Amino acid sequence: MNAGAQRQSRTKAVIYWAAPYLVIAAVLVAWELAVRLNGIAPIFLPAPSVILKYLFAMTVDGSMPYHLSVTFLRILVGFSVAAIAGVLVGIAMGMSPLTARIFEPWIGALYPLPKISLIPLLIIWLGTGESYKIVISAVTAFFPVVISTFAAIRQVDTGLMKAAKDLGANTRQIQYNVVIPAALPGIFSGLQLGMGVTMIMIVAAEMIGGTSDSGMGYLLIHAGQVLETEKVFAGLIVLAIFGAVITSAQKRIDHLIAPWAHREH
Amino acid sequence: MDIVVANLTQVFGAASRPVVALDRVTHTFPSQRFTCILGPSGCGKSTLAQIVGGIEPFTSGSVTIGGKGSAAQPLGTHSVMVWQHLNLFPWRTVIDNVAFGLEMQGVPTAERHQRADALLTSVGLRGFEQHRPPQLSGGMRQRVALARALIMERPIMLMDEPFAALDAQTKIVMQEELVRIYERSKMTILFVTHAIDEAILLGDEVVVMTARPGRIKEVIPVNLPRPRSQEMINTPEFGRLYDRALHLIREEVLLSMRQQQEATAGST
Repeated sequence: MNAGAQRQSRTKAVIYWAAPYLVIAAVLVAWELAVRLNGIAPIFLPAPSVILKYLFAMTVDGSMPYHLSVTFLRILVGFSVAAIAGVLVGIAMGMSPLTARIFEPWIGALYPLPKISLIPLLIIWLGTGESYKIVISAVTAFFPVVISTFAAIRQVDTGLMKAAKDLGANTRQIQYNVVIPAALPGIFSGLQLGMGVTMIMIVAAEMIGGTSDSGMGYLLIHAGQVLETEKVFAGLIVLAIFGAVITSAQKRIDHLIAPWAHREH
Repeated sequence: MDIVVANLTQVFGAASRPVVALDRVTHTFPSQRFTCILGPSGCGKSTLAQIVGGIEPFTSGSVTIGGKGSAAQPLGTHSVMVWQHLNLFPWRTVIDNVAFGLEMQGVPTAERHQRADALLTSVGLRGFEQHRPPQLSGGMRQRVALARALIMERPIMLMDEPFAALDAQTKIVMQEELVRIYERSKMTILFVTHAIDEAILLGDEVVVMTARPGRIKEVIPVNLPRPRSQEMINTPEFGRLYDRALHLIREEVLLSMRQQQEATAGST
């Protein structure tokens, strides 16, 4: 390869790497210019520079970190409850046909129900405090976790189980040493789905509870009601970044625990 | 330990449409000999190996393992299987795959790793102890599967088309490796294959099976000297045995292909 061609291919590589960032920058500049040149009122569409200013102010005065950490804690609690219950019930169903038979009609009937429709009932029973937010998110996330776990256990390659038995493993040893590790990748994908709906339901629950006074959902709905559109945008940006961080952290943890599972992709 | 199979019959499927996989198979697989079971696909040769290994139940007949005077024990206690699809545990490292059987018996970590290490060295996998099976080539995975079976130190090794998925060169190397292991250890080996040259090269005798329903068509004794090597393929004796087996198997393969065509036509 001659020097000219080499330079050309390096330029191509730089463009390939920089393209998405350039597009983001271009959109932001266009947005900023459109707002300024057309004099759009900030209650409809604030300029990116203004949103950034608000974001900075809300970070410094502590309101953004406060609401974000409250939401994060609620998500952690709701997700933990759903994950533990979902994985345990899913494993029990996968290993005992009787348990599966008992749980299946309940799951079949309740899974298609939009969980958000349970909110009025939960508010009657639990009020609008913490327990209602945790319960609604845990109930919602339980289903994808339990269904994925059950499916993962049932789809374990029977060849692996036969091989373990041939090598002298008893039923219990096969369950612990073969079935559960073989099902882990499927269980993890259920947990990722569960985390996704937990985040949705916590933020939604924070918006709906009338007496709610904390969390990102509250921040958004409250700012929206008083037409502080800059704060709404600031909250959305933080939530989007937060969601991306949680998702990628979860993938990293999965990869640490089950490094064999992602090799083929 | 001889493996005495008498009138073994295996019927699959519903009573209304039974599929006879094995039909009154009777044969004694002699102790410490290498027996190859050769047959067209779908003839029930894998089923036979799995029944002998206690992995599959059977419909009628009997399988007895053990010398005279020793009490009959359940199938599977004296044998270990090397699977066609290997069935390695992808989440376990190579050394923990090999040591699996010992771990299930409660052998302490240090001891079982030491024994697994020794076996891995003998099959040429030193330095790969901490790899996982998906990181290895087909031939290396095959060696792991072999070591995992050998560590059990059971007198009978059942092998179900273990080299079918390997490329031609790797297959040759693995066959020589297996010959070497067999000639040193003197285990009883049942080796299921559909490759005529492989059956003759490895076996002391070749049991040729018919297309479904699986019956024993003929037993060909292989009197090639040991130690065996690939060069024997060029000897006149090998050629004679090959022609004999080919002649026997050709009509069965044609019959088996016709059966499969009919089955496909029937299902569509």
